[in-house]
Amino acid sequence: MIELENAGKRFGRRGAGVEAVRDITLEVPRSAIWAVVGPNGAGKSTLLSLILGFTRPTSGRVSIAGDRPRDWLRDHGAGYLPERFGLPGSWTVRDALRMFARLAGRGNVDADTAIERLGLAASADRQVHTLSRGTLQRVGIAQALLTPHELIVLDEPTEGLDPIWRVRLRDMVRDLGAESRTVLIASHDLAEVERVAHRVVVLDRGSVRDVIDAHEATAATRYRIVLAAPFDRMHEPFPDPETTGPAEYVVTVGNHVDLNQRIAALIELGGLIASVEPLRHDLEQRVRDALDRP
Amino acid sequence: MIGIGSFIALSLRARLVRVLGLIAFGAVFLVAAATTRFVTGGGHGHVELDRLFQLGGSTLVSALLLIGWLAGRFPIIAVLVLMSGVFSADRAAGHARLYAVRPRSMLLLYGARALVLMLLAFALSAIIMPAFDLLLLGRWPGTGLLAMIGAQVVVYGSLTALLSTIGRGDAWTALFVGIVGIIWDALRRADFFQQSVHVVRDAVSVVLPPQGALMRVETAFASFEPVPWDAMLYIATWATLAFIVAAVVLSRREL
Repeated sequence: MIELENAGKRFGRRGAGVEAVRDITLEVPRSAIWAVVGPNGAGKSTLLSLILGFTRPTSGRVSIAGDRPRDWLRDHGAGYLPERFGLPGSWTVRDALRMFARLAGRGNVDADTAIERLGLAASADRQVHTLSRGTLQRVGIAQALLTPHELIVLDEPTEGLDPIWRVRLRDMVRDLGAESRTVLIASHDLAEVERVAHRVVVLDRGSVRDVIDAHEATAATRYRIVLAAPFDRMHEPFPDPETTGPAEYVVTVGNHVDLNQRIAALIELGGLIASVEPLRHDLEQRVRDALDRP
Repeated sequence: MIGIGSFIALSLRARLVRVLGLIAFGAVFLVAAATTRFVTGGGHGHVELDRLFQLGGSTLVSALLLIGWLAGRFPIIAVLVLMSGVFSADRAAGHARLYAVRPRSMLLLYGARALVLMLLAFALSAIIMPAFDLLLLGRWPGTGLLAMIGAQVVVYGSLTALLSTIGRGDAWTALFVGIVGIIWDALRRADFFQQSVHVVRDAVSVVLPPQGALMRVETAFASFEPVPWDAMLYIATWATLAFIVAAVVLSRREL
């Protein structure tokens, strides 16, 4: 759906300017949830700006469904949450969301539904300048998600949200994926990204360092298994366990079914399990590896 | 057109303080005119300058003339205040991006906003200026005043809209360019550019705000002469071209 061919963006004059992103080639398919991660200044927001046509590439090409991004957006629209969402302070939440719904050809019902969904009922008639950072962020998410656009782009969506709303946002993004919408998320939050994204683009200093299949990265999960007492037959259900203590092992399994079958076998052999702890750092490790690569 | 009405309504709400400020500013002129009329008017039905001179000397007469001159610029002040940041403020705050992702034409949204703000500037001026003249002169100033208000609003409105698509500080820049236009027009009428290349002189005259045409409309109003429609046509053409350039810049502008 979204295609970038050797796309680059330079701000300022050649030589003296800053190359925010360079030589990016990506193809984001329809109905996929992709995340863009990277350190501050990696070019995440610039990449999203190129995709949405806010800025034009200084090299290469960007298109959505074969069209120029701005042309496609004018015809189809998109949900978009900017990194620092804001609205004029004198507007009320309800009026702003109703306006955005109408601009997308929808009615007040959609805005009112979004208000309920994002827990904004108590703030609906308050002026924007009176809202807390977290509430304002939820207004931003509401305006991005209130209409059923095919493309949703969220820049740092968890910024300012409390843990409860982070979990709820995660569910909303999963729902979008289930509704076959294409979602792009730029985030620092690898733990959140790992839970929702199908693929993760690692960006650093304007270049794509890796595109990671998030499921693949988290599927071969490692676990720490602690037994009540040392057990010399541990290697039978778990070949090559790493021994990290007298009765403590780190094992690698293919998936959850595999893990359960091997634990059942361990218990069958007489092993007494004290705890099983997932070591879910594979995506983080792969991102680190990508960033450390010269 | 669905949604544009809401967009305009909220645009006006965001400018409510400016509108109230302009009303208060206009009220100062009306209070000054009413006070002058009250202390000097008597039974003549208009302000008596001789009586004003007797009361406060040349200071008071000069003050009234200054207030009258400033009141004559109310449409320019109103349109600059209302149109300031018509697009540039949204771009700087990132709001323009929120509109750009809606399935609506940005040209339509911002064009409608500019039109409504210019109409509002016209409406405020068309209330305050005739009322000011009515209080001072004791009679309806005529349709020439409405033509003058329209000409000022159209020239400075289109100029501010164009500058707003280019960068920030649009209203201040429009005021500056307007002053440059006044000076240029004065020098041109004084044959200051006789030795210059005609093409360059004419090109600069076309690019700068049409102060010569504006001056003709103002002079006609002040002299109780008919509206110079050829000057009005030139002003309308200049403003239309400014809007066309603004539309082209807006459609190509990075957000």
